[in-house]
Amino acid sequence: MKKHILVIDDEESIREMLRQILTAKGYRVSAVATGLEAHRAAQADPPQLITVDLQMEDTDGLELIRQLKSVVPGVPVILLTGVLFDPQVVRQMVGNQISSYLQKTTSLKQIIQEIQRLLGEPGAAKTP
Amino acid sequence: MKDSLEKRVIFLFLVMLAVLVVVAMVAIGNIRESIASSDWVNHSHAKLLEVEGIVSSLHAGEAALRSYLLTSDARDLAACREQCAQMTEHLQVAQALARGEAGQQQPTVQLESLLAKRLEFISQVVKTQQQNGLEAARKLLAADAGGAALREIQRAAGKLKEEEMELLRKRDQASYVQAQTTRWTVLTGVISNFLLLAFVAWLIRDDLAARRRSAAALRTANEQLETKVQERTTQWVVANDALQLENLERQWANQALEHQLRYSQLIIHAIGDLILVLSKTQNILRLNHAVERQTGWESQDLVGNSLSLILAVSSQAPHSPPARDPVGSALNAGHELQEWPATLLHKSGRSTRVTFNLFPLRDGDKVVGGVISVRPPPVPSSPPASGESI
Repeated sequence: MKKHILVIDDEESIREMLRQILTAKGYRVSAVATGLEAHRAAQADPPQLITVDLQMEDTDGLELIRQLKSVVPGVPVILLTGVLFDPQVVRQMVGNQISSYLQKTTSLKQIIQEIQRLLGEPGAAKTP
Repeated sequence: MKDSLEKRVIFLFLVMLAVLVVVAMVAIGNIRESIASSDWVNHSHAKLLEVEGIVSSLHAGEAALRSYLLTSDARDLAACREQCAQMTEHLQVAQALARGEAGQQQPTVQLESLLAKRLEFISQVVKTQQQNGLEAARKLLAADAGGAALREIQRAAGKLKEEEMELLRKRDQASYVQAQTTRWTVLTGVISNFLLLAFVAWLIRDDLAARRRSAAALRTANEQLETKVQERTTQWVVANDALQLENLERQWANQALEHQLRYSQLIIHAIGDLILVLSKTQNILRLNHAVERQTGWESQDLVGNSLSLILAVSSQAPHSPPARDPVGSALNAGHELQEWPATLLHKSGRSTRVTFNLFPLRDGDKVVGGVISVRPPPVPSSPPASGESI
């Protein structure tokens, strides 16, 4: 059974690229553009992992993460954003809400390794 | 190779057919000759029978004659005449049979002559007996040369028989030879054909074995080729996947850079202060939307032109020594300028007194330009109505 990943980003090019790479790696991918669609998708088909953008049209990523945690508690969440935060600041801001923070300048290979690590799959990168 | 084998097989089958035809023709010929020989044998036997018949009829006729002479019984005479007639008949048949044989004519004619004389003698005896009585007939009979004529007839008949037997023997031998020839011809033909057939079978078997080997070699080559093709296909698939991943990585990197650039632009244009980026020679490189909004200048009017087009910098600021070119000096020295007075020149020709800050742009340890920020001039408020306090 393929693992289900929910991708949340308001940019279509980002959603499409993540869908391509994650599908090629054997995952089942649902990609949505808004927080509302994310809620519906998470309730209808609970994912094993979620990637969230920070700045979206109808909400911000941090708020969305808090809301999704009540729908699918225990699911690892990756904050994937183009905004350059100091990782130390990120940890302070979100506490235990997110499992990982990645910038969009990170390579796809590293993103995949991080996803594999959070899902406990072989071939994953070591804990950063 | 296939054509050569086909030709050889066809040729050998044609040879077998030719052998069969030859054997058949020889057999048919020999059978015909056998039939002819058999006819001749029958002919010879028939002739022998007729000659035997002549002799026995003659003897019976002589006996009946003597009986008649003794008894004068008409039945004996009739019997004698009957035997003579039979003898004549046998002779005629023998003559007819001898007609086809060149060498047998003479003996038959001789026999005929002897028999004719004898018949004449018998007739004479009968006539004498009838006319002159028994004594005269007996005298006539006694005058007959003691059966010499009979012996002569028998000799002639015997000679005929011997000759006929000789012919029979020759024909029998010829028939035997023909039968042997036929037997050997058929046997040879059958053996030859069997040998040819065996040779053809060997050729075909040999060819089949060669074909099987070729097929096996082809199968092996095909399997090897398929394996190589699969390996190569796998390599291509892997290479293609790697290429697609690389392409996707490149697209991702590009979009990350674009996103950063776009986000930086958004931030700069969201700032309310007028932002101008200068080169070290004080030419304007970039500006934000606030510049356009506040001064009416457009980007293409200012980029690449001197700062002095939009900003007339005062030579002196409060608590600072005068400077001929404060901006140039600050850029060269790598210093900042804080709250320096200047005049903002609008496109419409209007001017506004402002202050600006200058921040050197550093790339490593080198100053490559500067950033000027100008607080927008306050919007003039409407004069208070009379009686209202400010």
